[in-house]
Amino acid sequence: MTAFGLLRTPDRRRPLTGAARRVARLPGAVQIATGIVVVLLLAALFAPWLRPMDTVTVDLGARLTPPSWSAPMGTDTVGRDLFTLVLHGLRVSLLVSAAAAVVAALLGGAIGGLAGAVGGKVDAIVMRIVDVFAAQNHFLFGLLLVVLTRPLFGSVVAVTLSVAVTHWVSTARIVRSEILSLRSRPFVLASINAGASRLHVARRHLLPHVVQALALTFVLLVPHAIFHESGYSFLGLGMPPTRASLGNLVADSQRSLLLGGWWATLFPGGVLFVFCAAVGTIGAWGRDRLDPRSRSELEL
Amino acid sequence: MTTPPVLDIEDLQVRFRARHGVVSALRGPDLRLDAGGLLVVVGESGSGKTVLATALLGMLPSNAEVTGSVQVLGNQVVGASSRQLRALRRDHVALIPQGASTALNPVRTIGWQARRTVRTRRLDPQQGAARIDLELDASGLSPIDTRRAYPHELSGGMQQRVLLALSRAADPDLVIADEPTHGLDADLVDATARRLLEVQQTGAALLVITHDLRLAAALGGETAVLYGGDLLERQATLPLLDRPAHPYTRGLIGALPERGANPIVGSPPDLSALPPGCSFAPRCPLVRADCTTALPALEPIGETGMVRCPYHHEADQDMASHAAAPEQDRHAPR
Amino acid sequence: MWRMIGVRLLSLPAIMLAVALLTFALMWASPYDPAATYVAALTGQDGASQEVRDAYAAAWGLDASGPQQFWAWLTNVTRGDLGISREVPGVPVTRVLLDRLPATVLLLGASTVIVLVLSLVLGVLAARFRGSPIDTGVRMLSYVGTFAPSFWLALLAVYFFAIWGGWLPAGGTGDVRTETGIELRYLILPATTLAISQLGWFTLFVRDTLLDRMRDDHVRFAEAQGASRTGALIRSALPNALLPYVTLAGAHLPELIGGAILIESIFGWPGLGNLARRAAVSVDVPLLLAIVLGGAVLTVLGNLLADIGYRLLDPRTRRSPA
Ligand SMILES: Nc1ncnc2c1ncn2[C@@H]1O[C@H](COP(=O)(O)OP(=O)(O)OP(=O)(O)O)[C@@H](O)[C@H]1O
Ligand SMILES: [Mg+2]
Repeated sequence: MTAFGLLRTPDRRRPLTGAARRVARLPGAVQIATGIVVVLLLAALFAPWLRPMDTVTVDLGARLTPPSWSAPMGTDTVGRDLFTLVLHGLRVSLLVSAAAAVVAALLGGAIGGLAGAVGGKVDAIVMRIVDVFAAQNHFLFGLLLVVLTRPLFGSVVAVTLSVAVTHWVSTARIVRSEILSLRSRPFVLASINAGASRLHVARRHLLPHVVQALALTFVLLVPHAIFHESGYSFLGLGMPPTRASLGNLVADSQRSLLLGGWWATLFPGGVLFVFCAAVGTIGAWGRDRLDPRSRSELEL
Repeated sequence: MTTPPVLDIEDLQVRFRARHGVVSALRGPDLRLDAGGLLVVVGESGSGKTVLATALLGMLPSNAEVTGSVQVLGNQVVGASSRQLRALRRDHVALIPQGASTALNPVRTIGWQARRTVRTRRLDPQQGAARIDLELDASGLSPIDTRRAYPHELSGGMQQRVLLALSRAADPDLVIADEPTHGLDADLVDATARRLLEVQQTGAALLVITHDLRLAAALGGETAVLYGGDLLERQATLPLLDRPAHPYTRGLIGALPERGANPIVGSPPDLSALPPGCSFAPRCPLVRADCTTALPALEPIGETGMVRCPYHHEADQDMASHAAAPEQDRHAPR
Repeated sequence: MWRMIGVRLLSLPAIMLAVALLTFALMWASPYDPAATYVAALTGQDGASQEVRDAYAAAWGLDASGPQQFWAWLTNVTRGDLGISREVPGVPVTRVLLDRLPATVLLLGASTVIVLVLSLVLGVLAARFRGSPIDTGVRMLSYVGTFAPSFWLALLAVYFFAIWGGWLPAGGTGDVRTETGIELRYLILPATTLAISQLGWFTLFVRDTLLDRMRDDHVRFAEAQGASRTGALIRSALPNALLPYVTLAGAHLPELIGGAILIESIFGWPGLGNLARRAAVSVDVPLLLAIVLGGAVLTVLGNLLADIGYRLLDPRTRRSPA
């Protein structure tokens, strides 16, 4: 077991925050990011009313028209209005990614919480399991999971599951170390010494911090979830064409692109990018606020 | 025409723009140091000693605002271009930074760092290397073994001696040592003092920063007392230790174990919210009403000394009574 | 030092066994029937007769119990036999993988070089000219590179460089009579677009670590001796910044494999990534399993190599010659 422990893959998966932290520190950046997220969420929510899907028709006369007033994002190779497709694609993408991020955060939170709160043997076993999952390549292992579960549960559940199974590890580690560090803090120790019950300590002192950490990991997981979902959909292994996500749209756009229709690629992927960047910026801001160590910009 | 002093500081002001406001770390100390001179700067932690040393080299971080004048060998440092500053540091100044353990590159051998010093200072490779070996040898280190070692393989005292050896390689005109005896045993403190005095004897000017009054006593020369960025007193070291003028200096000396170990009541000032007037007033046993309205001027004292306290004469009687009743001092009213 | 490397090398099989067990267990637990899928694909209809399916299942050893299957598969793996691929009918998985390996190694190798070289160059530049337009530009590019999906960037690059500009090929490998069977021109777009996904934050990491290290006492000591800022940055700060960089590279470069699936598919690259997609689409489980395992091996090896590299580079962890 000791030999095994030595192989622990270090958790250094914080690429997205790293990139976004600088941006998040710019004045107004978080406000703009929040604005973008809100607008896109509303657009996705009200897509069926803004641009009902049944208005999308194959119109071979309007094949591959560049962006215009009536079709702000142009049309694709069979003359469908891309703006409508993108709105609905965004809806699907956000739904699946949010579900995936929630499940991953909860799964990780539960496992990490268990390991941290119970400790001892349980903790040791959990950490070995974490090692095994951390040794996987996320995207590849997730692909295998999607392939195995999709015919059974359908695309939405398959992608959600695959993201959750490949991403719970980082959340579990964060929650576990959060609990471990909380448990040794003076105010918690004092409370335990004063005879507070386990439940009381957990509810009073641990839960608020853990919930905070979970909320943050959720936000940080969303871009990851989007990358996975769109990636699988792009490969034709995620959402079915009837529930096309933005990843499907980008995949479809390859035909348009060969004919010079750049807009069919630019807009669906662009929306994906803007949303991820905005969420990532908010996440970085949150991490900056929760993790004081990352704040020492001006100190010598 | 007379040669300019090695170091001439006039009305040096350093402010840092920090998150929680503006920190004024230095407020106009006037200091002067001639060739062969020795100046010891003492003060509590946070009094601005390191900021002073850094400012002399023009190496303050970008959030610092500097006004006033610092001249090294007649060259103005404040506002100088980075090229000028580099040339000045390379050819005339050596800094032995605070914290020997972190001042050496942890992933390079001492030999590598010695070669870098020789290259950076544009010394002749052979002569430079020989000089460093000589200096290492003079401070009791084996040049061969030391060159081969990594910093972590040396003790704190050895690291300190390496830094001193590197600093002397180019025969600088000004040597600044920031806390050169921090964390060293008493006998090592004496050895360090001797090595520093050797530097002085070669004709270089020496600026030693310390909070260790015993090191000051071992070195002699002049001593300047810094408090909250203000220069409070400057005198020849031995008279200063013997007959301190400023109430703060008296407090510092009274805090020494052999003088009764009476610490000064209160804590150092918050540099981002300094009170008007004397920065020591809130802790001063002699505080008067006008101490808190305007910063007192520096008054001459002794032959060459200065003190920033108009009431320092009265302190003599006061302090005498304190020495008789140390208990009282500890509970002095704020 | 060498002991620790030895111990970790020895424990490599242990973690791989666990990984294999995990993947195999997942596959076995999913009530997914490979035989049925295969038969359905073969005959083009879902309702193939039970006998046909059972025959295939028996032929592939699928009627054995889970542990038995795992054991059989494991003993085969240790002999270098990864089973029979269904995606490339009748050809052993090992053979299929080996055929595809050079192209992927070439692509991953090129991307790795791009990531390492560019991140160091750009990171050093940004740190040296902190706050300047260079710094701002590098940071913006890194930001875009991190949050833009690689497949999207790849398609945009194809449009711009191949379709609109016509400077580079849009995909394929070109003249197969070259040594690797791939013309270098064809490598540029795939390798670059694959690299971008990691490049952004590798660069930021270099920049930020360097700026941190620039505040270290020994770097300031070098400057106090009259070293130039650039000199101090490169000679004093960079060697120290490289230590965490090595760990980072070991932990994250293996992630390029995930991106390679997307990029190889876009450019029709004849490597393992493209194969993985085909295996996934046609549910060729032995093949996919082998590739997933390969990914895990690379991930673990990457971390191990990074640890060894770190220890070799850092004299504080290297045992001193007594
Ligand atoms: N870059 C900076 N930004 C903001 N404040 C700073 C900066 N550098 C120094 N200071 C402040 O200036 C004051 C003086 O610091 P300095 O390091 O000179 O103290 P010191 O006398 O050397 O103390 P010590 O004995 O602990 O070394 C401190 O209050 C410190 O917080
Ligand atoms: Mg200091």
